[in-house]
Amino acid sequence: MEAVFRINGKEKTFSFDSDATLLAVLRDSGYTEIKEGCREGACGACVVLLDGLLINSCQVFAASAAGKEIITVRGLGDVHSPHPVQSAFVDSGAVQCGYCTPGMVLAAYSLLQKNPDPDDSEIKRALDGNLCRCTGYVKIVEAVRLAAGRMQGNG
Amino acid sequence: MREIRWYYPENLKQLPDLLKREGVIPHGGGTGILRGSLNHIEGLIDLGNLQLRYVRYRNGKIEVGAGTTYADLIEHLSGTDPDHILVKALKAAASTPLRNRITVGGSAAFFPVWSDLMGPLLALDAEVTLTGEKGGSYSLSDYTKNGELRKMSLITSVQWKNKSWTSFYHRESRTKVDYPVFSISILLKVRKDTIEDIKIIIVGTARRFTQCLQIEESLKSLTLDQARIEGIGSKLDVQFTGRRNFSAEYLKHCVGIQLERGLKAILRS
Repeated sequence: MEAVFRINGKEKTFSFDSDATLLAVLRDSGYTEIKEGCREGACGACVVLLDGLLINSCQVFAASAAGKEIITVRGLGDVHSPHPVQSAFVDSGAVQCGYCTPGMVLAAYSLLQKNPDPDDSEIKRALDGNLCRCTGYVKIVEAVRLAAGRMQGNG
Repeated sequence: MREIRWYYPENLKQLPDLLKREGVIPHGGGTGILRGSLNHIEGLIDLGNLQLRYVRYRNGKIEVGAGTTYADLIEHLSGTDPDHILVKALKAAASTPLRNRITVGGSAAFFPVWSDLMGPLLALDAEVTLTGEKGGSYSLSDYTKNGELRKMSLITSVQWKNKSWTSFYHRESRTKVDYPVFSISILLKVRKDTIEDIKIIIVGTARRFTQCLQIEESLKSLTLDQARIEGIGSKLDVQFTGRRNFSAEYLKHCVGIQLERGLKAILRS
């Protein structure tokens, strides 16, 4: 089947099997910043924003996302013009192996869109669907705090 | 590769015919469907265009559209009643990205053993409204017990009386992020230090859920000082089936302890 998604601001037509997940379709189409982890909605490596909501792309049929807006971590910024959340992750040392980082950045971005000044418990709660096996999360929480401050002009 | 046919109805009138088709099932958030085998599925009815994502107040009831996600409901109720039992329960369910996707209707229809939704809804005496072959309103309790109601029908909304309760919710799991093996939902209404009403639902028992009617009756009309909680757990008439990590006896023991703790906490509050 075929469907149009608006991905990172651009409309694009995708062809895929009717039972394909959004994760499979996007990765097969070159969006490899979306990582494949557990494939059961537990690790958060594959999250994207679907119509503004953070979702596990491994738990969504591509057919159900037809016509919707998708943002991956590449849609937030790139190495030349990073989003404040991306810069904060680098500056805080919140990246080790990097596999969870696209998901963590998107989860943090999603939180800060709704709640620009979260406390630590709100940050941890917003990241409850994203696993990191390297950092122990301390630096990641610091990064979100730093990003929040910078986005409010305090950094 | 076997093709699954997708249907995108634009209004509820199109649903009954689609629901009659062999192997065709509704798709809300899709998280439950993706957990099972797709082998028996011939078609999926995407409910995304049916305007079923809402929370509204009508005739003294809260009505929640079947397409409302856990995150939607938490956000709505947190604004009006932050201590609502559904806020406590759904905040503990799954994770942020999954709560953005799991729908109330799908969860009520699917009723997984780990559900954090069903205990609170059953305690609230919720009703479901169905469209399709068995269209109409039914108590959620009847809906879960009667498989016929689920055939060729779709939940379009869940509603319950908008009353103020003191609440307690406990989910028993090995770790915070694990599925609960059982959950306890307690609702309490006290007037002038006397227990006017109490509801206790345990989800995850051998019969999927158990309402603790005897305990409820034994506590009603007592003053808070008269209510004796010690020993209630050991008298609890509830059966579990053994799981991979827990024997039935162990679960019964645990639920008794947690029920006593819950009752003490809610009576203190």
